[in-house]
Amino acid sequence: MLVVGGGCAGMRAAIEASDLGADVAIVSKIHPVRSHSGAAEGGINAALGNSAEDNPEMHAFDTVKGSDYLGDQDAIEVFTAEAPGDIYQLEHWGCFFTRNEEGKLAQRPFGAAGSPRTIFAADITGHVLIQVLYEQVMKRDIPVYDEFFAWRLVEEDGSCVGVVCWDLVHGGLKLLSGKSVVLATGGAGRLFRATTNAYACTGDGMAMALRAGLPLKDMEFMQFHPTTLYPSGILLTEGCRGEGAYLINSENDRFMAKYAPNAMELASRDVVSRSEQTEIDEGRGVNGSIYLDMRHLGAEKILTRLPGSRELAMTYAGTDPIYDPVLVRPGAHYHMGGVETDNVGATELDGLYAAGEVACVSVHGANRLGGNSLMETITFGRRAGRTAAEQALAKGPGVTAPRSALDDAERDLKTVLDRVEGERPWKIRDELGASMLENFGVFRREEQMTAQIGIIDGLRERYEHVVVEDKGDVFNSDLTQALELGYLLDLAGVMMKAGVARKESRGAHARPHDYPQRDDENFLKHSITYLREGDTELSWKDVRMTRWQPEERKY
Amino acid sequence: MKVALKIWRFDPALGEKALRDYEVDAPEEATLLDVLDIVKDRVDGSLAYRKSCRMMICGSCGMRMDGGAVLACKTRMYEIAEAGHVPVISAMGNLPVIKDLVVDLAPFWEKMRAIQPYLRPGYADPGDTEHVITPAEMDVVHKEALCINCGCCTSECNSLEADPEFLGPAALAKGMRFVGDPRDGHTVERLESYSQEHGIWDCTRCYFCQQRCPKGVDPRDAIAKLGAEAMKHGIDRDMGAKHAKWFVTSAKTTGWLRETELVPKTQGIARSIKEIPFAMQLLKKGKVPPPVPPHVAKDVDQARALYDLVKQQGRDGAAGIVQGERALERIEFVEEQERRKK
Repeated sequence: MLVVGGGCAGMRAAIEASDLGADVAIVSKIHPVRSHSGAAEGGINAALGNSAEDNPEMHAFDTVKGSDYLGDQDAIEVFTAEAPGDIYQLEHWGCFFTRNEEGKLAQRPFGAAGSPRTIFAADITGHVLIQVLYEQVMKRDIPVYDEFFAWRLVEEDGSCVGVVCWDLVHGGLKLLSGKSVVLATGGAGRLFRATTNAYACTGDGMAMALRAGLPLKDMEFMQFHPTTLYPSGILLTEGCRGEGAYLINSENDRFMAKYAPNAMELASRDVVSRSEQTEIDEGRGVNGSIYLDMRHLGAEKILTRLPGSRELAMTYAGTDPIYDPVLVRPGAHYHMGGVETDNVGATELDGLYAAGEVACVSVHGANRLGGNSLMETITFGRRAGRTAAEQALAKGPGVTAPRSALDDAERDLKTVLDRVEGERPWKIRDELGASMLENFGVFRREEQMTAQIGIIDGLRERYEHVVVEDKGDVFNSDLTQALELGYLLDLAGVMMKAGVARKESRGAHARPHDYPQRDDENFLKHSITYLREGDTELSWKDVRMTRWQPEERKY
Repeated sequence: MKVALKIWRFDPALGEKALRDYEVDAPEEATLLDVLDIVKDRVDGSLAYRKSCRMMICGSCGMRMDGGAVLACKTRMYEIAEAGHVPVISAMGNLPVIKDLVVDLAPFWEKMRAIQPYLRPGYADPGDTEHVITPAEMDVVHKEALCINCGCCTSECNSLEADPEFLGPAALAKGMRFVGDPRDGHTVERLESYSQEHGIWDCTRCYFCQQRCPKGVDPRDAIAKLGAEAMKHGIDRDMGAKHAKWFVTSAKTTGWLRETELVPKTQGIARSIKEIPFAMQLLKKGKVPPPVPPHVAKDVDQARALYDLVKQQGRDGAAGIVQGERALERIEFVEEQERRKK
C-alpha cells in the first residue's frame, strides 16, 4: 500500500495501515516533517467540553452552518463524533498540547464555534502534530520514500495500482506499485500570489486525479484567511482573535460590529474576510490591509499563548504585536474542494483513496471553520488508511504496476527535458498567481472570471513550450517546479469553470455584484468537474442532508 | 535594492566545487530565501536548495551564511545589502553535500532514531480520556518541543566534527523531550542509554548549537538538563558526570572548588597516578593549593543552605534549569520594557 504525501493525513493513514498489518510506505516530495500541516497554528477542534459545555452535535451544527449548508451532513456527523477519540489517541502518543489549570487539555474559542472547542499547543499546533505523527512513523519503522515527486497515477484494469515518481535526489523516474494508493498531498494555495501556503502546496494530488479522469468537487471554494501578513501572506493564526485580538480599520474603528455584531472578530472566516475586503475597497484600509490589534491582551498572554505569531510579525513585518498593531489582509489559505471521496476516503477509482486537504468528503462545504482542517486530516486520514489497508490486505499476493506506465512517462518527460529553446516557467507562475488573486479573490465578478479563463488558456499554451534549464539528474528542482506549474494550471481551469457556473453567493464564493444571495433552490449542490480530452466538464450533485435544513446564516 | 551574494556551488556530476558571484534586484523585505529564488528564476535554474513553508516552521532551508548556520527564510537581507556586505552562502556543515546547498540528512535522522524518538508510555493508562498533567509539569519540555529538525545545530556542532558518532544536539534535545515528559515511563533506561560513550557527556559545551538554533530550542541547555536528570537518578559513571558531581560536592563542603581532588575524583586513582609529573610541575609554580587543611570559604553555610534548599524543593534535575530559564526570560522582558520606556 502506498500513501502519497507525508503530512498529517498521510502519516495518520500510514500509521493506521501499519497497525492493521499492511505493508505500507509513504511517498512524499518533501520529508514528512517539512509538510505544510506543520505550519497550522491555532488548533484542532473536538468537542471535549473541557472549557465549557460542548458535544459532537453542537460541533456538527457549527460545521454545517459554517459550511453555508454545503457540507455533507452524514460526513460531518461522523467527523464530530469520532474527533474526541482521535484527540485522546494523539495525546496518548505524546502530543504536546497546552493544558488548563486542572491539567486537562485546554480549549480556546475559535471563529463561528458555539463553545471553546479548539485544542492547541500555544500557536504551533500543526508542528506538534507533525512531530508526534512522525515519531509514531519512526516507531513503526514505516518506510518513507522522501523527495520522491509523484507525477502520475498508474491504472490497470480499472484499478489504481501505483504511482510514477521522479526521484529528486538521484534523478530518474521510478515506478512504485501498490494494491491501494492513498492521496494525501494537500492543497493548492500556490495558485494565488497572496497565500499562506508553502511552496510545496501545488495541488499535485488533485491534478493527478483530475488527469486520471476522476471528478473534483467544489473546486470554486478557496478559503481566504482574514489575517495574513502584509506583504508576505504569512499566516497569523485565528487564535489571535480567539484570545481576544481586535480588527481595526484606518479610522481606528472595530469594524466587525457592522458586519457580525454578535460574533465580532470571531465570525466565520468567509464573513471576516469579506468584511475586511469591503473596508479596504471603501478606502478604510492601510496599504491594502487593515490592523490586527493585540496590544490589550498584554505581554503575558502573547508570550505564552501566541509566541509564534509574535515571532512571525516581528520577523516578516517588523512589528512587535505587544506594542503595535499588525497589518494583515485576506490571503488564499485552504481549498474546501478536492478529490471527491466517500466517508471512508474511497474515490471513484477502485484502489484510490484520498484524505486531508486534497480530498473533498465534504466536511467543509463552502467555508471551513478554523480548527476543523487539522481534525479532518486525523479523523479522515485514519478512516482512509483503514479502508485502503483492508483492501490491500484482501487482494491476493503481489501487485506490479505495468512497465508501460513508466515507459510512457519517460517518453513524455524526455520531451520536456529535451526542449532547449523557449520560456522558463517562472513568469507563467507569477502571472497565474497575480491574475487568480485579481480575478478570483474574495469577491468575484462574472466578467473577471470570464477574462481569467482566457488568461489561463493563454498561460497553458505558453506552458506547452516551457524550458527546464537544469538538465542534471541530481536534485533537479527546476524540473519539479515546472511540473508543479502544470498541476496548478490544470486546477485553475476547473476552478474557473465551477466558479462561473455557480450563480449565487455561498460561503467563500461571493458574487455581490450579480448574485448576492444564496440560492438553495438551484445551487444547494456540489459542483463536480472533470477533464475529458482536454476539455473541462461540469455536473452537479446533491448535498447529503441528515438533520439540518438551510437557514439564514448570521453571526 | 541590489543584493550581492557569493554561493558555493557543488556539481555532483563533475564533483566540482566553485564559488560564484551573483547580484540581483530584490524587494526591501526580501529574505535570503527570496533572493535565492530570484537567482534561480532569473539567473541560473540549476541552483539547488531546499525550501517549503518560508515561515520558519518546516525546517527545509538550513544553510550557512558567512560560515554559520541560518534558516534562509528567517534571514532578512536589507541591512546586509545596505552595508555593502557580500555574504558567502554555503551548504550546512557536518553533513555530506548532495548538490549546491542541499545536504544529505540521513546521518541526522539516524542519530534521531538512535534515541528512541517516541513516547514510551508507562503502565498508567488514562483510558478513554487524556492524561492529567499540570501546565508546570508539561512546561519542562516546552523548548525541546519547538525543534523543527532543520539541522542548524548539527551543522555547527564541534563535538560532532571531532566524533561523527556523537549523538549530537538535535537528537539529545529530542531525548530530553521524552525524559522531561511525565507520560514517558522509561526515563532511567533513556538516561542510561544517553549517558554512554558518544552521548550527553561528550558535548564540549561550546554553545554553538544554542547560538545558531533558529527556534530557541537551546540544545546545549537540553543536554545540561539530561545531565542533571542523570545525576539525580544516580547515573554518574561517566567521567563527565563525576567531574560535574565533584563541583557540587566541593561547593557544599568548602564553598570553593577542591581542585587538587578533582582529577582523582573524575578520572579515578589509577589514571591520576599518570598525571603526577604534571601535578608536580604545577606544584612547583605554586598552582596547586595544598589539599590539607581544606580551604573553607567564609560563607560556606550559605552554599550549604542553597544546596539543601534545592534538594528540599525537588529542584535538582531538569526542573531547576527550566526554572532558571523562565527567570532569565522574565528579567530580559522587564529590561526590554524599561528600555522601551526610555
